[in-house]
Formats: sequence, structure tokens, C-alpha cells
Amino acid sequence: MDAKDILGLPKNSVTQEKKSRPQKDSQRKPDGISREVYALTGGLAPLIPAIEASQLKKRPPSDEKITWQWLPFTNSARKDNLHLYHWVRIVNGVPPTGDYSFAKYNKSVDIVKYTDEEYEKYLTDPMWTKEETDQLFELCQSFDLRFIVIADRFPSSRTVEELKDRYYSVARAMLIARAPSPGDISGHPLVKEPYNVSQETERKRALSMVLSQTKQQERKDAEVLAEAKRITESRMVARGAEESELPVPSNAGPESAERAAAIPADTVSPSSNVQQHPSAAVAPSTITVDNASILASLRMLRVYLRTYALDQMVQAASSSAGLRTIKRVEQTLQELGVNLKPRVPTKAVCAEHLELRREILTLLNLQKQLQYKEAEGSSYRDGSYADTPGTPKHLSHGGDQDRTFVPDMSFAGERMGKRDQKRKAPGRLSEAPLPAHKRPRKSKAADL
Amino acid sequence: MINSSSSKQVGQDQPATSEPKSQRTKIKMVKSEDSDKRMLNKKLKDVEISIPIVYGNVSFWLGKKASEYQSHKWTVYVRGATNEDIGVVIKRAVFQLHSSFKNPTRVVESPPFELSEAGWGEFEIAITLYFHSDLCDKPLTLYHHLKLYPEDESGPMSSKKPVVVECFDEIAFPEPSEGFLVRVQNHPAVNVPRLHTGFTLPPPVPFEDANRKKRGDTKDHPLSQWFMNFSEADELLQLAAARQQVQAHLAKLRRQISMIDGQHQQLKTISDS
Repeated sequence: MDAKDILGLPKNSVTQEKKSRPQKDSQRKPDGISREVYALTGGLAPLIPAIEASQLKKRPPSDEKITWQWLPFTNSARKDNLHLYHWVRIVNGVPPTGDYSFAKYNKSVDIVKYTDEEYEKYLTDPMWTKEETDQLFELCQSFDLRFIVIADRFPSSRTVEELKDRYYSVARAMLIARAPSPGDISGHPLVKEPYNVSQETERKRALSMVLSQTKQQERKDAEVLAEAKRITESRMVARGAEESELPVPSNAGPESAERAAAIPADTVSPSSNVQQHPSAAVAPSTITVDNASILASLRMLRVYLRTYALDQMVQAASSSAGLRTIKRVEQTLQELGVNLKPRVPTKAVCAEHLELRREILTLLNLQKQLQYKEAEGSSYRDGSYADTPGTPKHLSHGGDQDRTFVPDMSFAGERMGKRDQKRKAPGRLSEAPLPAHKRPRKSKAADL
Repeated sequence: MINSSSSKQVGQDQPATSEPKSQRTKIKMVKSEDSDKRMLNKKLKDVEISIPIVYGNVSFWLGKKASEYQSHKWTVYVRGATNEDIGVVIKRAVFQLHSSFKNPTRVVESPPFELSEAGWGEFEIAITLYFHSDLCDKPLTLYHHLKLYPEDESGPMSSKKPVVVECFDEIAFPEPSEGFLVRVQNHPAVNVPRLHTGFTLPPPVPFEDANRKKRGDTKDHPLSQWFMNFSEADELLQLAAARQQVQAHLAKLRRQISMIDGQHQQLKTISDS
């Protein structure tokens, strides 16, 4: 306790625990079993009680008079008529009737039996003499078709598979010979699936090889299997993407892969008048692959809502982009006067919306590209030849600050027109977008 | 001559009524331009049907008759977007209300799929739609936040003008059964895409008598004057305009980039020499 004081630990916690524990134990003790016996089970009752606790204290019904007698009995499973004695429970003076209770467990297999003529007619085999076959069948009878044991005791050395083969082909031949018509036994397993020696030997060999594999081999096998699985999966995905790309010949236009299955020219909508600009600057293969998997998963649903489908596809499209980029896309949409979630989400509208998002993503990527390239250009001009071209990431941000020509997303209709803007950098570019200084807050959005 | 006329008759082996036949020929004419050989091989599973719906609520302030616990009378509903009868698709709708309502699980077995109640609170209502068994045995759930009070909290509440919040959506069935398609091929509530040339459906069974049909649709619904308009064309126009802007800007950027690339090339050759 002093130690706890020194350490500054709360005093109460220990006493609380002590109080709660004995309470728990006494709660759990069931009736009908003493506490110690119950504790043997580990303090937890089994899910399905093996014995009803109430049964343990049950006394036999008082109207029955029980005595025990030493009586003889016979076992019908024995063939030698042996008489043995045992204690028998007598109820009200009436001894129990019936066979010895364990006789029913004496089961044996029905072995095929053949006469000599039948042997001559159906069962002769170059590899087996009649003697051997007879011996085999004797052993089968006495050992209940336990071939491992039979193989051990067989006088000439034969493998288990050979013995099995001989037995099963004999049984099959007898079955076919004795059957009144072939149709009767065509369903019998011996006839339908005969014993296949070579297959069995091979199987056992393979099994023993697998079992005796070293750890290294195991690991290698697992690796190869995983690799194979990956390859088949990527092949399936590629096939899925192919199938969805096929109907879109050369117009990588506003149609999403889903609509490409429908006929593109049918849609009577203003979208068909929009110029079909090849919008995919972002790797088109990854887009279609994502889309294909989303489409496949949608098709698995028996029913879904259009807004749900759109959400999924938007998520897939922006999965490769960072959070900031996604925010920029949404900001751009707002500036363009487009609802982030379409107000009338029909199939056509959702497709358009998705394409618009993709195009904006492309736009943002290109803007970034342009920035990098212009930063590269500045490194050339500043004479810093130490920097290797093509690694704009190594350039400091400071170099870019005075170049406020980051294209601004102020799409206010007619403002998009060509305007000569005053800029600090030498005006190499003939067309300049609006400068950031006019709208200082927008430049933040254009930050990388 | 006789031969030609008889061959014509053989061609018209479908004992269809005139309407679907003309439909089919109309489809054929459109198709001939676009007959992609691949389309002929596509099976039923590439026919996705959609049902445009609108769901939401209309809520009236009870004005003088309002009490503390029943200040508004509201109706939550699911209707066809064009007010056509969606009972052809939806078997029943289950509205799950707030637990403070008696029997909060309300089942509506026939169109119009709506539920009216009186209350004071706004809460989320789960609307589970069960479809006819030949269409889909899996239900679909929509969520709608019941709105009673107007956006502008400061303004006076009027018992004449209700607060209306509606949401548009489309229910899509990617692989409908042929039986269902036959049943609804010409129904105004269902969007069925054009079928391919090689693929024809058996002629539809004529609809049940007009009376039954009339009652299911919401065109003459008492609340229909408050229903909102959802114009697909407007949204498409808006999107198209936005895309045009973006594409123009993209073109510009690409020009800029290629120009810079050219300049960089020049600089490189200069520096290398």
C-alpha cells in the first residue's frame, strides 16, 4: 500500500477489483453440481450441457423394484455357442429380453464368392493364378477388405494396388455376369467407376511426394501458385476491359464504357453536338480497367440506384488522385456552375458528369505539367546547367513565385476570350490566361 | 408476283398487333446505320432498364390548428418522375418512420406509394421498395430526410404554401428477365433501351384496363401542383456547356505545352553545342 502511495497510484482500484471478482464467481455457480465439480470445467458452463445438472440428482422411480441377477447369456455374433455369465438388471422380476446388446456391432463385408465354373468362364487372368486369387479372397473375407493388412499377409509379394485391382475387377466381372440385364447394374459404383490401377499408383506417389516436401520446396510452390493466380486475375481484368473497350472504336469521346455497349449515335441529346475531344490524358487503360470492374460489380447487383453507380464511378476515377486534387476538381465544377451531385441523375446525365470530371482532372494534370515545364525553362535560362533536365521536382518552389501565370480557373463565360495580360516574365507565350493577381484568393486554389 | 406477295406474308410471321410491329420497324430503320455485327451476339443481359423516380415529401404547416406535437401535416412519397404508374415495377413500399410514431413500419401495397402523417419533428425516413418477383427479389432502400420547416427560418410560415423537398433518381436493373421486358416494353414509366436487330420480343400482353392504370399514376394527384420539375435536358445543356469550356482550355494548354517543349529543345541544342 505504501508502494502505491509512493507511486501515486489510486488506492481504490485494487479493492474494487477484489470486490467484483468474488461476486462474479458466486453468480456463476449453477445448482445441482457442487462448486468444486463445477470449477473443474474451468468455471464456464459448456455451450451444450452434456448432462442435465438436474439428472444427476434424479433418483429412480419408486414404483419399480430393481434387483440384479447373475445370469448366463449367448452372443449371436459368435459361431461357437459359447455360454458366458454376467450381471443382469431385473426390473420388477422381469428379466430383459433380446439379443446380447453388442451383437449388432459385429458387421462384416459381403465378399463376392465364385464357383470354379464361374472362374473358368469370367475370371481368368494371365497375371493371376487361380490359387492366388482364391488366397486373396480368403484373406479379404477374414480381414474385411483391409487391403493393407491383406498385402502384408499375402504369400507372394504383390502391391496393395495390384491386390485391389484384382479384387475389384473380379467383383465387377461377377456383378456383370450375374446381372439379369446390363441396365440393372449400370448405376452400381463398381460398374460406373472401375478401379483404375495406374491412376491410383500415380496418385499415391504424388501424395507421398507432397508429404515429403522440404520447407523450401513448399515455399517455392506457394510462390508459384500465387504468381499464377495473379496472372490469371490480371488476364481476366484485361479481358473485361477489352470487352468494354471494343465497342468504342475510335471515338474516345464522352461515352463512358458502360454506354459504349449501347449504340452511341442514338442518343438525342445536346451532348452529341459537343466536339468529341480525345479527353483522356490520364492513362486511359487504368480508367477503363477501374470502370470495367465497377460495371461488373454493378451488374452483379440485381438492382441499384443511379446515384449509387455514379458515386462508385466518381470514387474510382478519383482513386488515383490526392485529396487536394479532388477538392480542386470540385471547386472547378462549382465555378463552372455545375452541381457536384447532378440534380437529374439520369444515365445520360451521369455519363456526362463523369466525363466532365475526368476532363477536369486531365486539365489539372496538364496545368501541373505546364508549370513544371516552365520551371524547367527558367532553369535553362538562369544558366543552372547543373540541374539535369526532366527533374523539375528538384527545383525549389521559390523559383516559381514570381511567375504568377498559373492558369486560373475563372471561367466566367466571355472572360475566356484572349486578353493580353501584363506579366513579369518575358512574354513568350502568346496566349495568357488571366493572372492570379486580379483574384488573389484563386491563386491559393492553384497551388500545387 | 404471286411469289413476291407470298414471301412477304412469310416474312410477317409475327401475329403482332400493329403497334409493336411499327415500333419494331422503326427500330430497324434506326439500327441499319449502326448495325454493329457484334451487337447481334449480345444477349439479354446487356439490356439495362431504368425507372426514373422522384421521392420526397410535401409538408403543410397547420397554422391555427397546429398543436405542440402536431404542428405539420406531411406526406412522404415515391412517384414516377413523369407521374406515370410505377406500380408495374414496384410491388410495395415500406416506409420506416421514427420510433416515436405508432407502428413506425408502414406498408403501402399499391400505388400511389405515399404516406401521410402529422407531427412536429424532422427525421430520416427509410423507404424500402419491393419489386415484382419477375423483376427482382431483392429490395432497394432510399433514404429521405423529412423536411417540415422552410429554409428561410425567419420568414413567416404559411399554411397555404407547403415545404417541398424532392429527389430525383433512377432505379437500374442491369439484367431484367425477358418476361418482365415483355410486360413493360411499351410502358411509359419504364425506360427500355432499344433492342438489337436480331433480337425481338414476343408481342406484349395488352395492359389491364385503363381504369386500373389511371389510378396508379400520379398525374391527377391532389399534391401534384406542388411537384417539382426535373428537366434532364437542362442539366445536359449545363454539362455540355461546362465541358466545352474545359475542352477549349485543354486545347490551349496543350498548345502551350508543345510550344514550350519546342523551346526547350532549342535551348538544349544551344547548350549542348
